[in-house]
Amino acid sequence: MKLPKKTMMAIMTSLLAFLTILLTVMPVKAADQVTNNSVMQRIKQKKELVVGTSADYPPLEFTASEAGQTKYVGVDIELAKDIAKDLNAKLVIKNMSFDSLLVALETGKVDMVISAMTPSPERKKSVDFSKIYYHPSGEFFLINKKDQAKYRKIADFKGQTLGAQTGSIQYELIQKQMKSSKVKGLSKINNLVLAVQSGKVAGVVVEELIAKAYAQNNHNLLAVQSDLKEAQAGNAVAIAKGQKDLVAAVNKTIARVQKEQLIEHKYLPAAAKYMKTAKKNNSMMKYAPYFVKGVGYTVEITIFSVLIGVILGTLFALMRLSKIKLVHWLAVAYIEFIRGTPQMVQILFVYFGVGYFVSNLSAVVAGIIAIGLNSGAYVAEDIRSGIGSIAKGQTEAARSLGLSQAKTYRYVIIPQALKNIWPALGNEFITLLKDSSLVSVIGVSELMYQTQLVQTSTYRGVLPLAIAMVIYFIMTFTLTRLLNYFEKRMKHND
Amino acid sequence: MTKAMIEINHLKKRFGNNEVLKDISAEVDKGQVICIIGPSGSGKSTFLRCLNVLEHPTEGKIIFDGTDLAKLNEGKELDQLREKMGMVFQNFNLFPNMNVIENIKLAPMKVKGISEAEAEKTALELLARVGLEDRAKQYPSSLSGGQQQRVAIARALAMNPEVMLFDEPTSALDPEMVGEVLKTMQDLAESGMTMVVVTHEMAFAREVADEIWFMADGYLQEKGAPEVIFTNPTSQRAKDFLAKVL
Repeated sequence: MKLPKKTMMAIMTSLLAFLTILLTVMPVKAADQVTNNSVMQRIKQKKELVVGTSADYPPLEFTASEAGQTKYVGVDIELAKDIAKDLNAKLVIKNMSFDSLLVALETGKVDMVISAMTPSPERKKSVDFSKIYYHPSGEFFLINKKDQAKYRKIADFKGQTLGAQTGSIQYELIQKQMKSSKVKGLSKINNLVLAVQSGKVAGVVVEELIAKAYAQNNHNLLAVQSDLKEAQAGNAVAIAKGQKDLVAAVNKTIARVQKEQLIEHKYLPAAAKYMKTAKKNNSMMKYAPYFVKGVGYTVEITIFSVLIGVILGTLFALMRLSKIKLVHWLAVAYIEFIRGTPQMVQILFVYFGVGYFVSNLSAVVAGIIAIGLNSGAYVAEDIRSGIGSIAKGQTEAARSLGLSQAKTYRYVIIPQALKNIWPALGNEFITLLKDSSLVSVIGVSELMYQTQLVQTSTYRGVLPLAIAMVIYFIMTFTLTRLLNYFEKRMKHND
Repeated sequence: MTKAMIEINHLKKRFGNNEVLKDISAEVDKGQVICIIGPSGSGKSTFLRCLNVLEHPTEGKIIFDGTDLAKLNEGKELDQLREKMGMVFQNFNLFPNMNVIENIKLAPMKVKGISEAEAEKTALELLARVGLEDRAKQYPSSLSGGQQQRVAIARALAMNPEVMLFDEPTSALDPEMVGEVLKTMQDLAESGMTMVVVTHEMAFAREVADEIWFMADGYLQEKGAPEVIFTNPTSQRAKDFLAKVL
């Protein structure tokens, strides 16, 4: 696209202004949100403890299905329950990807993070930790059974790629102690297991219990004790900086848990029970409610995002066609900026960034807003090119008959443009439906997220994905038919 | 002496650095039929489009109904003056999403606020006048070029204009269709309509025009009665041009 120099300058200036405002306002707001000891006050006030976790790490945190309901279970969840009890608050679990957890903590989305997190020096720079509550039993290699003769220790993986959870301690261990191997980071354990099974990586480094759980549920996998040396073993609860009272309270609970030996005698056996049931009954039928719930959210997100997208898109298309320069430039800047940045980043930005200003912004609403905002830019371009495709002669003929600009648009241009816009708009809706899967990163229970839950619950990677694909296809196929029907009807009106 | 219907004073039009109309002054009187001829790229169409301000003049005045159109910005006043100047385009520019009668009714109903019944009656009369009363419900795409152009003429006439502007109305037509459009225009001229026609149809110009304007290089080189221009042009540019086309 060719833009005059002046327009380019205007776009750059408005973008810079936008970013400057954002960056100056945000830290102030952030300081409001998490100040000294403010988290404890919030917990006491709301009588609610919000714990962030990445529930794909059995036996520490994972999901189990009980009477069709998703339940968060595992050692860390049990600990969270006891902490909540001691704080006299109701426990709320927020499940999100591991690498989003610390951001969620810093932005006040969660009060604490209990997610098998090791207090590494890097992490200590941004958050505080309780004392260690659990010492993992050691790192294991999870490999394909057919490779059991090949991979036994670090040296065997020379030149090979190993998988680990992004941002995890295992990831660092591979980098530091297996310098002749490459490391591939994925945020979900189930995807890592898939990577092993499909040969993308030679093995995955995980903690003993997890490795054993997956090996038990997949006959072609094997858990092998590794010779990785752990520099700082042990998991701790992460809490935002400056929350001395909360750290003290958590440490008190941990002390009690350790004294009563709850982890060994209560937490682990309970977790093992859920892991066993998962093994016994992995029929996908049992998980149908998961998919149904996912479809519900996917449809909801799609409908509302389309609405926002169409309203914004029309607005920005008209603004872009406006003769008032400032209005025109604002629209151009918005469209170019949105189209020039990844949607994934936009979703995370809306949830965590805008969350500064609106503290109780739910993930679903954030997802709908982010996708709607994104769609608006594309719809605006669809509308603009639809209008642009109408020959200039049409406008001239209408104007020469005395029709005002507004009436020319209303009676001559828009009715013709709609026919051109409709197919492009239809494609946009289908893309949007599929892209709604991206909001799984902020923990919205849409279809993709639910699929991941099924993967972790069943220890099976491929089948849930296949089911999700079929469901997505049925949805997009139905939508395509519907759109074609309306397109045909429009053509008949010619 | 009657006052001119349209008075053009020192009209100039530039597109960027390209000066298409250099300095044009002329008058169109009521009831007059003027044909503008000249080589391609001489600025004929631009001049015509300046008359109803589809192109905004860079300099100069266009006085119509006592108002200088060149001074007006887009808005109600300009729209109201435009509706008094019908325009017919080279490519017809019918609205493809409306049938013939809807094309004709649109402006009377939406601009003048005339009732649908009345607009329909006028439209059918006009269609009869251009010989297409049986095509009212057809869509433009099913009509021949000549028929489309006749509908376009009827559509412009529906606003009851004081003057009709024709921008090369037969240039996009197959040769066998040219006659029917020229016939319609001739009938219109004989009914007393004021007309400004940019055309390459020299025979039509000679027969129908009251005055021929010869344009070249952005200037109105000479104007006069057809018999004078066609038989005894004064400027060398006109002599060269006519030698080629006649």
